[in-house]
Amino acid sequence: MKLFKKIILILVIVFVAIQFVRPARNKSGQVLPTDFTKVYTVPNNVQSILQNACYDCHTNNTNYPWYSNVQPIAWMLARHIKNGKDKINFSEFGSNSTRKQISKLKEIANQIKDDEMPLFSYKMMHSKANLSKEEKNLIMDWMNKTADSLSANN
Amino acid sequence: MTNIILGIAIATASLTACNSHNATDTKQTEIKNDSPATNTVQKSPDTTIIPATVAFPVNEIIADYLQLKNALTKDNGKDAAKAGNAIIATLATVDMKSLPAEQMKSYMDIADDLKEHAEHIGANGDKIEHQREHFVMLSKDITDLIKAFGNGGQTLYKDFCPMANNGKGAIWISELKEIKNPYYGKSMSTCGSVKETLK
Repeated sequence: MKLFKKIILILVIVFVAIQFVRPARNKSGQVLPTDFTKVYTVPNNVQSILQNACYDCHTNNTNYPWYSNVQPIAWMLARHIKNGKDKINFSEFGSNSTRKQISKLKEIANQIKDDEMPLFSYKMMHSKANLSKEEKNLIMDWMNKTADSLSANN
Repeated sequence: MTNIILGIAIATASLTACNSHNATDTKQTEIKNDSPATNTVQKSPDTTIIPATVAFPVNEIIADYLQLKNALTKDNGKDAAKAGNAIIATLATVDMKSLPAEQMKSYMDIADDLKEHAEHIGANGDKIEHQREHFVMLSKDITDLIKAFGNGGQTLYKDFCPMANNGKGAIWISELKEIKNPYYGKSMSTCGSVKETLK
């Protein structure tokens, strides 16, 4: 029993200690000229899906949930956001070449079609990211259409 | 008893340490990636030795691509991944500064995209459908690369499958006149037709 108490005590101490190791927050607050919405005319319904399902990990501005203040959750989120932005960053989308923009638009459609994105863990905590069939089709159609019109012009 | 407690304490401490260590690690790799000039990926020894003043390795890139294409026609995701990684390695040997300005511009545009698709293909040996999605766009890049740098002296065929790419159709480059479809593999090997001969 004494051992059990000691272990709990240690765990509590460790838990408290790690709360002081806080990763930097992904919040820039400014809208760059290369922002997705500046580069393309994005319809409102498409934009709101992107906002609800993608932007937390794929822009420079994360809308943090309350539990993001708890470690080690914040560490996990920081890693997801970093990886997400490495693959695609809607805040700086226009800094890609046209060729790459076309690729990325198609890749978005493919990821949605294959149910790879949004991530399961994200959908568990964000019900709005659980896209309906109609929402998925809307996103895929718009992404493919935009990619095709870019290809046609180049 | 105290040993167990000590063990847990050390384990948790090292976990936290690992985490902060990782953060600096990824930063370092980021810096590395930003300067492709320092990238010195070695090709496997079975390829020809590259002389000090390299000509543009269009032959090698096409050879890697054809390997990728052939792996996909055989539904072999593992080999496709290897070929994808070979493309990345070959691109790393390109000395961009040796190219004339116009070619350098088109190379940079194409290679930037090409590399990303090759990375996805290289990292997804167990997801052949995902590899094929990227192969659609990678084949477009290769076609443009051949337009800009030539076919390396070998006759190539631009083939088209109207069913691939969610029914929108997709092209691929082949060294064979005969159709062997990389988008459907063995299940629909002969679907498609030659659209153009690149001589």
